Amino acid sequence: MSMLEVRDLGVAFGAVQPLSDVSFSVGKGETLGLVGESGSGKSLTAMSVMGLLPLIGGRITAGAVEFDGQDLTKLPEKAYRKLRGGRIGLITQNPMTSLDPLQKIGPQVDAVAVLHLRMTRAEARARTVEILGTLRIPEPALICERYPHQMSGGMKQRIVIAMALAANPAVLIADEPTTALDVTVQAQIIRLLDDLVKSRDLALVLITHDMSVVAQVCDKVVVMYAGRAVERGSVEAIFERPRHPYTQALIGCIPRGLEGTERLTGIEGTVPTVMNYPSGCPFHPRCPRAEPICAREVPAFSTGGDSAAACHFAEVGHAKPA
Amino acid sequence: MPNLLEVRSLSKRFISEGGPFRKARSMHAVNGVSFDLPRGRVIGVVGESGCGKSTLARLILRLIEPSEGSVTFDGDDLMAKSPAQMRKLRARMQMVFQDPYSAIDPRYTVHRAVCEPFEVQGERPMADEVSELLEMVGLNAGLASSYPHQISGGQKQRVGIARALALRPSFLVLDEPTASLDVSVQAQIIGLLEDLRSELGLTYLFISHDLSLVKYFCDEILVMYLGRVVEAMPDTAAPARHPYTRTLMESTFSPDPSKRRLIAPLEGEVPSPFDLPPGCAFADRCPNASAICRKETPELTTDTGHAVACHHPI
Repeated sequence: MSMLEVRDLGVAFGAVQPLSDVSFSVGKGETLGLVGESGSGKSLTAMSVMGLLPLIGGRITAGAVEFDGQDLTKLPEKAYRKLRGGRIGLITQNPMTSLDPLQKIGPQVDAVAVLHLRMTRAEARARTVEILGTLRIPEPALICERYPHQMSGGMKQRIVIAMALAANPAVLIADEPTTALDVTVQAQIIRLLDDLVKSRDLALVLITHDMSVVAQVCDKVVVMYAGRAVERGSVEAIFERPRHPYTQALIGCIPRGLEGTERLTGIEGTVPTVMNYPSGCPFHPRCPRAEPICAREVPAFSTGGDSAAACHFAEVGHAKPA
Repeated sequence: MPNLLEVRSLSKRFISEGGPFRKARSMHAVNGVSFDLPRGRVIGVVGESGCGKSTLARLILRLIEPSEGSVTFDGDDLMAKSPAQMRKLRARMQMVFQDPYSAIDPRYTVHRAVCEPFEVQGERPMADEVSELLEMVGLNAGLASSYPHQISGGQKQRVGIARALALRPSFLVLDEPTASLDVSVQAQIIGLLEDLRSELGLTYLFISHDLSLVKYFCDEILVMYLGRVVEAMPDTAAPARHPYTRTLMESTFSPDPSKRRLIAPLEGEVPSPFDLPPGCAFADRCPNASAICRKETPELTTDTGHAVACHHPI
């Protein structure tokens, strides 16, 4: 059963429409990868689910965000506050700015359980120490007395994960959780998240620009481009039988130094910004397959096998990427 | 093939002076690095943040002064050169920086930015030279009058490359040239650098934290950890011999869901580079470490051309 379902989500800031027709669902014990280049709307999707759009002046104009069967787009702010950081946890990209530099680690993590689980300070601290322990943080009781600047980037990201876990979330949204970290630390954090999904039956939405991370831990994938979902499907389908030309091109851009030496293809042109999203299919100006219809009409999703692609020519069977 | 660049025992020590509440500390940002770079080859330097890769790049171009060691470029000992002589030489050795957003003066047009290297040398570009340079890096010559904020990140990096190529250098230091770019743009820039290399016969020192990119792009690889070269791989197909290199490879995810593996992540993180204990800097994180590793620093040694600095190489 899906814990979080987003249907045809559209977001607007005044007259600008940076997000349209984004749909996905994620169930217990499942990891969904939301992948795309900068400006594709990944983080905005996360903000929409967390109900944080009003903070930055945006609003949901279409579609629904359902958490455990309840439509969040109609939820009053007071009720949203209970969910946010509670049953829906968020892990942000930059652990350096997610923690209060003036407060010790302990109280920062304790506050989550005090607020959402109505624990006393002492109960919350015991819980904090326990969670830090399960995240393989050495000497958790001592860490509680430290300040963020005394810790490394990887350790800070674990603290941020601990805060997201403190209120027993059912859904976790991780927005580029390892982008600021070195590869060996990235491997630790990704492995940790994967373990948590399995041991706690979490539904994880993993937002990333890194296709290799997606390939390693996700069950399902949504590929985004210029504010739209362009392809969705199982991780195997997306990587082995990509049907959208953008997905195919994106896979051709990954250096595979460890495996092969085919020349990187790149994609002609640049990623459009929200002020100049193309008409029709957002990818058509850079697409090798584009025809006049692509500039006129937004393609609908067509399903084939275990993936669906929003392309006018998804059925034609594009050349398989190298 | 003669070596274009010879680096010998290059070291840089930074000293943080003590204060009322602090002891003086020192760190070896780069520690005894030696290697040869033959003309026309691409050597990759890979390592995690703080391993000294960018300091090494700046030492080689003598943008900062080394504490010890020497750099020989095309037969010239750089350490013996006066500032004026260095400036002349730098026309032949240029650098492409990581962040194209801060490498170009925001008040300069693209044209002016590409002219800047000529000005530094007291020269003027020929009539069509700027537009030729822009075309060489795949930019429309019409962009010459644009300002940096009007062009995209990938275009800015192309301007950075055009600037580096302006004085017809034979050697380029590429310091994470694609780290701030999207993957589709990264692939374009890497393709451009490959084309320029074969057209102009360039020699590159390529610095990156991305092992799969280095393996894709380079002929040889130096792996750095806390200021030292721990492994020098003569070709990119060579299996790792240093436990750190192996960990780095295992931590690099494959973009193929059928090749999922149980990642056994390396515990711990890179230790503070200040006042390192004796012995191998990797010993505390290494599964093969023994007593000797905590006493003696292993030297970079080789019997096959594939050098490794480890008491217990794989």
